[in-house]
Amino acid sequence: MLSIDFERHDLENGLTVVLAPDPAVPVIGLNLWYAVGSRNERQGRTGFAHLFEHMMFQGSANVPKGAHFELLERAGGSMNATTWFDRTNYFETVPAHQLDLALWLESDRMGWLLPAMTQEKLDNQRAVVQNEKRQRYDNQPYGDWDERIQAMVFPPEHPYHHTVIGSMEDIAAAGLEDVEEFFRTYYRPNNAVLTLTGDFEPAEALERVDRFFGEIPRGGEVPAVPGRTELDLKMGETQRQEVVADVPLPRAYLAARIPPFTDSGFYTADVIASVLGDGRASRLYRRLVRERRIAKDVVAFAFPLTTGATLMVVWATGFPGAEPAELEDALALEVDGLADVGSEEVERAVARAETGFLREVERLSSRANLLSMHQTIFGDAGHLNGELDRLRSVTPEHVREFAASVLGPSNRAFLTYRPKEDS
Amino acid sequence: MPSSSKPLDRSSPPAPGPIRPFHLPDLHVDVLGNRLRVRSLFRGEVPLVSVAVVLDAGEVRIAEGLEGLAVLTGDSIQGGTEHRTGVELAEDLERLGTELRVSTGWDATTVAFTCVAERVDEVLGLAAEVLRQPSFPDQEVARVRQQRLAAIRQRSQEPDQLADDHLAREVFSAGHPYHRPLAGEEDSVTTLGPRETREFAEGHYQADRAGIVLVGDLGAARVLELAERHFGDWNPGDFKAEAVPRPDWAEARSLLVVDRPGSVQSEIRIGHPAPSRGHPDEIPLRVGNTVLGGAFTSRLNLSLREEHGFTYGVHSRLSFRRSGGLARISTAVQTEVTAAALGEATRVFEAFASEGPTPEELERARDYMAGVFPLRMETTAQLASRVAELLVYQLPDDYHHRYRERIRAVDGERVRVAVREHLRPERASIVVVGDAARVVPEIEALGLGAVRVREP
Repeated sequence: MLSIDFERHDLENGLTVVLAPDPAVPVIGLNLWYAVGSRNERQGRTGFAHLFEHMMFQGSANVPKGAHFELLERAGGSMNATTWFDRTNYFETVPAHQLDLALWLESDRMGWLLPAMTQEKLDNQRAVVQNEKRQRYDNQPYGDWDERIQAMVFPPEHPYHHTVIGSMEDIAAAGLEDVEEFFRTYYRPNNAVLTLTGDFEPAEALERVDRFFGEIPRGGEVPAVPGRTELDLKMGETQRQEVVADVPLPRAYLAARIPPFTDSGFYTADVIASVLGDGRASRLYRRLVRERRIAKDVVAFAFPLTTGATLMVVWATGFPGAEPAELEDALALEVDGLADVGSEEVERAVARAETGFLREVERLSSRANLLSMHQTIFGDAGHLNGELDRLRSVTPEHVREFAASVLGPSNRAFLTYRPKEDS
Repeated sequence: MPSSSKPLDRSSPPAPGPIRPFHLPDLHVDVLGNRLRVRSLFRGEVPLVSVAVVLDAGEVRIAEGLEGLAVLTGDSIQGGTEHRTGVELAEDLERLGTELRVSTGWDATTVAFTCVAERVDEVLGLAAEVLRQPSFPDQEVARVRQQRLAAIRQRSQEPDQLADDHLAREVFSAGHPYHRPLAGEEDSVTTLGPRETREFAEGHYQADRAGIVLVGDLGAARVLELAERHFGDWNPGDFKAEAVPRPDWAEARSLLVVDRPGSVQSEIRIGHPAPSRGHPDEIPLRVGNTVLGGAFTSRLNLSLREEHGFTYGVHSRLSFRRSGGLARISTAVQTEVTAAALGEATRVFEAFASEGPTPEELERARDYMAGVFPLRMETTAQLASRVAELLVYQLPDDYHHRYRERIRAVDGERVRVAVREHLRPERASIVVVGDAARVVPEIEALGLGAVRVREP
C-alpha cells in the first residue's frame, strides 16, 4: 500500500525537521511536536503542561496577544494544539503561499515567548482552562472515569497516575515562574520535531525553516521524567471501584496495564482492542449488544503511550436498570473468551486498520502528526511506513498468548457507575 | 546546513508568497433510467473511494405520532437483509475493511462509506443490498429501539444536549417538526416496530428520492457502470415533493432556566429561526455569522473567552435546512458568572445585529472563509459529503465551484442588510441549563424579561 516519502534534517540547534512533500493541493500541513506532556509535571503542578499550551497562544515578543489566531484565520489557515501524556503538539494547515507566516508564528513562540508573558494573560487562561475542565469533565456524566482508571492502573509515583487536565487546585496554583521554568526546560529546539507535509519544494522549505528557527539557541539536556517510570507489566491483582453518580445509564470499564507503544506486544493489544470492540462484527458488540442485549454501546482501545507501560480500556454502557456487576462479568467473560480467537477475526481487524491508516494519512495535518510522532518516539519518521506490516504480523497465537499472560485476573481494574436513582 | 546571508526581520508578519491556484475537480453529473441521480469527482492521490447515498427520507417526512421513525429505520437497515443476517453483513463489510455509516437528519437519510478503491464494487453491492432489501428482523428492530430509547434517556442527562432540546421547544411552535428532538421521544419511539420501519423504507427508499455520490480513484465511465450495476433496476417510486411549513417566529424574547441542581456550569443557548438553505441571503449571512461567533477571533469568543475567561469557548451557528432552520449561540460557562456571560452575549449579539461588521472584520471574515475552503475539501469523505449536500438541498451543481468567488463578492452593505433582516435578538429564545437557585436571581436582574423555571 501507500508509503510516505520524506527527508529528514537536523538544524545545528538540535531541531529535527521532517519534510514530506505532496503537491496534490496547494496546502501545507505544519506539525511541531514537543516531547513534553503531563508525564513531565512535578507534584503540585498537575495540568500544567496543558495550561502552558494555552499560554503559547497568548502572543510572543513580536506577536501581539490575539494575533496568532487573527493572522492565521485571515490567511485562510486553521490551527490548534493538544496536550497528552507524552507530548504537546502544535499544528497549522495553511494555503501553500502562507508557509512563512506559520513558520514565523511557531518560531517566535519557541524562541521569544517569555518577553510577552504577563500575570493578566496567565489569570485569563487559568480561568479558561478551569472552564474547560468543568465543561469536559466535571459537568459530564462519567467525566471522571479516566482519573479513576489511571489512579488504579498506575501507582502514585508513576507519571500516568494523574490526568492531563490535572486538578483545579494545581491549575490555580500555577504562577509566572512556573511558565518561565517550563519554557526554558522543555520548549527548546532540541526537544522538538517540526514536520511539513504538502505543496512545497524541500530544499527551499528547509532553507526557510532554518531562517526562522536556526537562531533559536539550543537548550540544555531535558531532565528525566519525574517519579518512577519503571513498573511491572502487571498490576498483580484485580481491583474494583464502584461509583454511584449522577449518570443516566450504568456503565462498566475494564482496564489493564499493557506493554508500551514501543514494545511489539502493543500491536497485539491494538488488534485485540479491534477484535473486542471495534465495529458491529466485534465480539463485545455481537455478544453484549446484539445477542444478550445488556449493553447499549461498547468501546475498546489501547493508548499509544511510551513511559514504562500503557493502558488498554474496554467499556460497556448498559441499558436502564442493568446491574453494573453483570456488565462487569460480561466484559471479563469476553476477554477470557479471546482464548478461542480465530484467524478471520484477526484478518478483519487488519483490514479495518488498513483503511483507517489510509484515511489518516490522506489528511496533510494527520500525516504530519504521525511523522512527528514516529520521529520523536523511534528517532525515525519512516517507522510509520512499517505500521501496517507490524499489525499484519500479529497472529491468532499472539492474541491468545497475550490475552492469557497480560489480560488475566492478576491485571484487571474494574470501574462501574451506578445511576443515583437506581441505588 | 547553510546559514542565510541577511538577518531576519521578525518584527512583523512575513508577506505571503505568490498564490497557487486551487481547483476543485470537475463534477460529473448523470441520471439513470429510474431517475437515480449520480454525481462524481475524480481524486487519484490516495487509493480510496468514498460513497454517499442520500435519500429524501428525513424526519420531516414523519407523520405525527411516529416521531423518530426515519431515524429508527436508518438505524435498523443493518439488522439484516433478504440474503444475510446482521452478523454476516457486519463480518462481510469488515472483511473488506469498512463499515456503513447510516445517518438520518431532518431532510435526508444518508448511507456512506469509505473503502480501498479496489474493493468498491463489492462494498457497493452490500450497500445496495442494505438499501434495497432490508429485512427488519423482529429481534434486531427491537434491539435497535431499545438502544435508541437508552440514548434518549442519556440525552436527557447530558447538559449540552438537554439545552439544545429545550431550545428547539422554545424556538419552534408545537406542531412544527423542529419542535421535538430529531430522533423522537420516548412515547413515540416505544410504539415503533418492524411493521413501521418496513413500511417507511418501502415508501421512501426508492430511486427517484435518492442520489449517489462517488469520490476517489474512479473515472466517470466506471462510476456510471457501478451505479448501473447496483442501482440500475432499483424501483423508481412515485415521488412527489411535499412542502414542509416554514417555522414561525416568536413575538418576543423569552427566558427559560432548566433546573439542574449542583451544576458547576451553565449551558447557555440563544436562538431563533433562520432562513432555508439556498436562500439568497445565505452567503452574506454566513459571512456575518463568522464575525459574530463562527471563527475563533469572533466578537463573542474574543469577549467571553479571551477577555473575560467566562468559558472554554462560545460559538454561533446557522443550521440551514431545506425549509427554514435555526440560528443559535451556544456556550457553557462557570455557574458564578452565568448572568454576566448571558448579559455580555446578549449585548454582543444586539450590537452586531444592528450595526453589522466593520470593514476590517468583513475583510477578515471573507479572507478566512475563502482561504479555509480548500482545507475542508481535502479528503474523499469530505468531498463526498459536500457533494451530497447539493443533492439534499437542491443546490446548483456549481455551488462549491463558485463558493469562494461568491464569498469574495459580498460587500458590507449586503451583510448589514442580511444581518438586520435575519438576526433578531429581541425575538430570540434564551435557555439556560444550570443550578436555578444560584442563577435565576441574577438573570432576572439583567432585565431581559421574566424568567420561567422548569424541571428537566
